[in-house]
Amino acid sequence: MKHDGKQRLNLTVMALVSVYLILPLMLTFLYSLFQEWTSILPTGLTLRYYADLFADPGFYMPIVRTMIISTVPVLLCSLITLLAMYVVVVHHPRWQKIMQILCTVPYSLQGVILAISVLALYSGLPLPFSDRIAMLVCTYCVLILPYTYRGIQNSLNAINARQMIEAAQLLGCHPLAAYLRVVVPNLVSGITVSAMLSVSLLFGDFVVVNIIGGSYYSTAQMYLYKMMFRSGQQTSAMIVILFMLTLLISASVLLLQQQRQRNAQVKQEEADGIHTV
Amino acid sequence: MAYIQFEHISKRFGNNRVLTDISLTVDEGRLVTLLGPSGCGKSTLLRCLAGLETPDTGRIILDGEDITDKRPAERKVSMVFQQYSLFPNMNVYNNVAFGLRIQKMPRRQQQQRVEEMLAMVELQGKENALPRQLSGGQQQRVALARSLVTRPKVLLLDEPLSAIDAKLRKSLQQRIQQIQRQLNITCMFVTHDQDEAIFLSDIIHLMHQGVIEQSDEPIALYTNPKTSFAASFIGNYNVLNGTAFAQMVGDAMTPHDVAVRPETINLLLDAPENEPDRYVLPGEVKEFSPHGNVIRYTVRVGAQDLHADVLFRSFKLFHPGQRVYVVVEKRNCLRVN
Repeated sequence: MKHDGKQRLNLTVMALVSVYLILPLMLTFLYSLFQEWTSILPTGLTLRYYADLFADPGFYMPIVRTMIISTVPVLLCSLITLLAMYVVVVHHPRWQKIMQILCTVPYSLQGVILAISVLALYSGLPLPFSDRIAMLVCTYCVLILPYTYRGIQNSLNAINARQMIEAAQLLGCHPLAAYLRVVVPNLVSGITVSAMLSVSLLFGDFVVVNIIGGSYYSTAQMYLYKMMFRSGQQTSAMIVILFMLTLLISASVLLLQQQRQRNAQVKQEEADGIHTV
Repeated sequence: MAYIQFEHISKRFGNNRVLTDISLTVDEGRLVTLLGPSGCGKSTLLRCLAGLETPDTGRIILDGEDITDKRPAERKVSMVFQQYSLFPNMNVYNNVAFGLRIQKMPRRQQQQRVEEMLAMVELQGKENALPRQLSGGQQQRVALARSLVTRPKVLLLDEPLSAIDAKLRKSLQQRIQQIQRQLNITCMFVTHDQDEAIFLSDIIHLMHQGVIEQSDEPIALYTNPKTSFAASFIGNYNVLNGTAFAQMVGDAMTPHDVAVRPETINLLLDAPENEPDRYVLPGEVKEFSPHGNVIRYTVRVGAQDLHADVLFRSFKLFHPGQRVYVVVEKRNCLRVN
């Protein structure tokens, strides 16, 4: 009885949280389907705003740009952090504290302050420093550094990376090769989680890209901003499309990862079956 | 000529001197143990041989070649770690085959060698298991197979059995000894467990505070410790300073400490006849505690407490407060430095 009561409470809390998270999205979706809404109820339902969006030739490039600018800094930042962690793990374990502090600093940086500072510092310099795209990518790298670092560090804490590298070295492997072959595969799930978090953060950014990129690099968020002055329903449709896109990306990554794990499990079970026979 | 030579090896970590002018040799095909308490430098010495630490001074010669400045990968030395250090993303087969893949050995040869090794450690049928699916003992056997598959010149074992329960440890000790003899491979074993060292080793190097305290064969080290530390560490000896011992037995003073092994002490209820080759000392039982098949008595003799190990026979128990005679043969009272 007591157990049933506890389960009911858990389900109620979960249901409330789900409603709280899904409700705004559902309302946005509904609003994007409404025709005219000048009276108490809308005059009817339509997919016209979605059709208009897909018919607009200026709709696709901002989406592509957003996807590029959301993934390139994540890949770059993951690579740089992985290499920095190699130096810390293999050569200077004592630097870990410094690394932790450095990687936590961007948490306290406001996007506006960071973007204005970067612009003020680099815009007067020669290329490639003053290149807006390069500036944007690097600024994003700084912004997502804490998430990337945490994801990698948490995965590293779960294994004895240093000793694994030493074991591989004694088997004839170069330390960097040992790190890439033995340690990095065990960090994949941590990197994936932090990468997804970072991608969604960058996907929704407007402030930094507007200040640094401006007219040089128009993204989906900037397209959305312009649309807000045109039509509320079309803005809602755009929000729904962007949401579905991020959902699709996240689901694909998760499914790929699950598929990988399932394949490994099946392989294992097949092998066990063969051996027990 | 010795197969491994450590010549005047010293090593510091900051202000902490870990190894002080260590020189020792190891003959080919022997199983040698570095024994000592935690922090005595035994693992550091092993890591210096592996190339995972660089000695501040001295040199290491392996098979006639100075390897002091060589990278770990170039030394042809393998190591089994305390925490196994298996690669979690690889199954047993790939863990064992890792070293052979690095050597770019043909696939067929690789398979043959891995199968040989897995048969040797009795892990056939576990090729596809991931390390997390194995027990501690199985993981350690995979680590052993992985280290041996590349046919190293020396196998280093850094407290490989300390994370394993007592019963399994015994069987793994036998397995290691069996494999070492079968392959006739030179092994250096690090442990703080004296029983393990005595069981496994051809030679034990007892270490204390960064120096070699005594090097000997296990039985010689056990029965004939040269220092107070060796006596107290390897055999739970009663170690008394010269003055205290002289007062206790009523002999002339000796400048040396005296060590008496607990199992060489006899306890009797009735006074035996005095004989010139033994001491007979009246004492009183203070306490006793069972240790497996022996009972350890603490007996007060004069101003000293002596430990005596007596085979556990329930019909022959001494109780606290009981008056007894402590009988020790003089040849079992060893002078130590």
